[in-house]
Amino acid sequence: MTAKIISRAALILTFVALAAVPMVVPMLSSPFWIDIIAEILIWSLLAASVNLLLGYVGLLSFGQALYFGVGMYGAALSVIHWGAGFWGGLAIGIVAAMLMAAVAGSVAVRLTWHYFAIITVVFSLILYFAAMSAKPLTGGDDGISFSAPQIFSLGDLKLSLADQSVQYYTILLVVAGIYALFSIVVRSPLGVRFVAVRENNRRAALIGINVYLTRYVAFILAGALAGASGALFAFFGRYASASYMFYHVSGEAVVWAIVGGAGSLLGPLFGTGLLIVLREIISAYWEHYLFVVGALTILVVMFAPRGLAGLWSDALQLLFVSKGTARSDNLVDTEARAQPKPATNVTRGG
Amino acid sequence: MLDDGSNSVALSVNGLTRRFGGLVAVDDISFDLPAGRLNAIIGPNGAGKTTLFNLITGEIRPDAGRVEVHGQNITGLKPYQIVRRGVSRTLQIKSVFTGLTVAENVRAAVMAHEGVASPFRPVASYGAVKQRVDNLVEQIGLAKHLNTQASALSYGDIALLEIALALANQPKLLLLDEPVCGMGPQETEQTVETIRAISKSVDVVLIEHDMEVVFAIADEIIVMAQGALLARGTPAAISSSAEVQEAYLGAPEEAD
Repeated sequence: MTAKIISRAALILTFVALAAVPMVVPMLSSPFWIDIIAEILIWSLLAASVNLLLGYVGLLSFGQALYFGVGMYGAALSVIHWGAGFWGGLAIGIVAAMLMAAVAGSVAVRLTWHYFAIITVVFSLILYFAAMSAKPLTGGDDGISFSAPQIFSLGDLKLSLADQSVQYYTILLVVAGIYALFSIVVRSPLGVRFVAVRENNRRAALIGINVYLTRYVAFILAGALAGASGALFAFFGRYASASYMFYHVSGEAVVWAIVGGAGSLLGPLFGTGLLIVLREIISAYWEHYLFVVGALTILVVMFAPRGLAGLWSDALQLLFVSKGTARSDNLVDTEARAQPKPATNVTRGG
Repeated sequence: MLDDGSNSVALSVNGLTRRFGGLVAVDDISFDLPAGRLNAIIGPNGAGKTTLFNLITGEIRPDAGRVEVHGQNITGLKPYQIVRRGVSRTLQIKSVFTGLTVAENVRAAVMAHEGVASPFRPVASYGAVKQRVDNLVEQIGLAKHLNTQASALSYGDIALLEIALALANQPKLLLLDEPVCGMGPQETEQTVETIRAISKSVDVVLIEHDMEVVFAIADEIIVMAQGALLARGTPAAISSSAEVQEAYLGAPEEAD
């Protein structure tokens, strides 16, 4: 189907463009933008974490910054105290965030909608204040810094995060790998269970799905995504700070995910990209750039409830509606969280 | 199914009771429904029929009593555990996965029944699942809507899809809650035919307000009123029972 081919092509183009960034950007603009794009890649994983919960299992979490922070400290502390390398620190960050999610999730997933949102905020606030006051360990608001460990060494070949290109490609590799895993999971039978729970949790139970367990698994996987984001950000900034665990960081991730399109695999990456680029451009001229972000978010929620990914698939639908097997879904579906057909989402917004 | 003989019991309810505050929604009900028959439960609004279904399927916990399906005690189990023991149901307000296509709906149910939950293998690679999905959709008569989103289906087709979801479980006992409620005459006829066909291989219990439908397809009828079992018998016996007439027509606010 043509629309499918175009989406696939757009996905490949996106990847090629991202891979070309360290070579092309210095020719066009300041190399500073390489770091901005690296930052977008990293933060998009936090948006992806919100997206997995909101877009695939139908749970709105306002507390994903907690797992971001745990991933951040997992990486930083393991480098500082145990001399972990990049990969070890990353793994420890992710596992620590999953453990945290396993603890918080065991309570949170028994609730839905606003109760769930509130309990996730409460958990993140408790841990935020705990981290703020545990200064000897966490450095509190000031945070703790460390020097970047080596990524890879083989004989004379030594790769270090100190090199901007190496750092960028390392981040791109990890982020792309995680999105690939994410796409495999949402196309699997587990992904089918997620979507069944999102669509109708009572019917999901009545076809034999353990709804709590399904939500719990998703919550832990979302913790892993946020933890990976936090661990990468720790390596990127060479520090960790409890201030990133505050709930406005969680809120920002929700906005990125919704603007990008919850329920599509790559929508949140583009939502994060758009809003961070806007922030960088506008904040240079106007300190109240958040007004623009707010206005844009309201516009998206009102006029494009499925976000950028929804606009993309609607555009394809319009272009090719006469060809192929047109599905009526995109035309009647008005709910942001009811993005249909996860199996094809990988090609959407790409 | 150890006791699959013609005189075995499909559903056995013993002393089942559930209170909501001061209201006793289901009041010490006991009955055995024989296997191989199409059983119907009728009664005026508020008689406790749907609560009885909710108690059987584990969505509400009983205050007292015991539920057995084909001799297997399912009291106190969670809804998904009861489904896995071969009890399926449809709801009074039709309940499907609205945002998914017919095929995706049934696939979710078949995969849940098969117990596949791999996080890695692509859904499209499960050939046997796809086969069963196609068969079920064919059986229920929705083959031409295979790739239609459920929200775009007619009301009658949504009801059929819900029955397909219930059948994906290969149930031994199927509970249907007002299967023809809100349907036009043609949809009603089609649904009744489907139910009749299903009841040849699955033990069916249905709640229904449409007396014409009930008397046409039920082998045996249970009448509930105010949470209790009022009468029981063949359609002919029930339709001539003075007690039943009174339950339906006696109290002014229930007359309709």
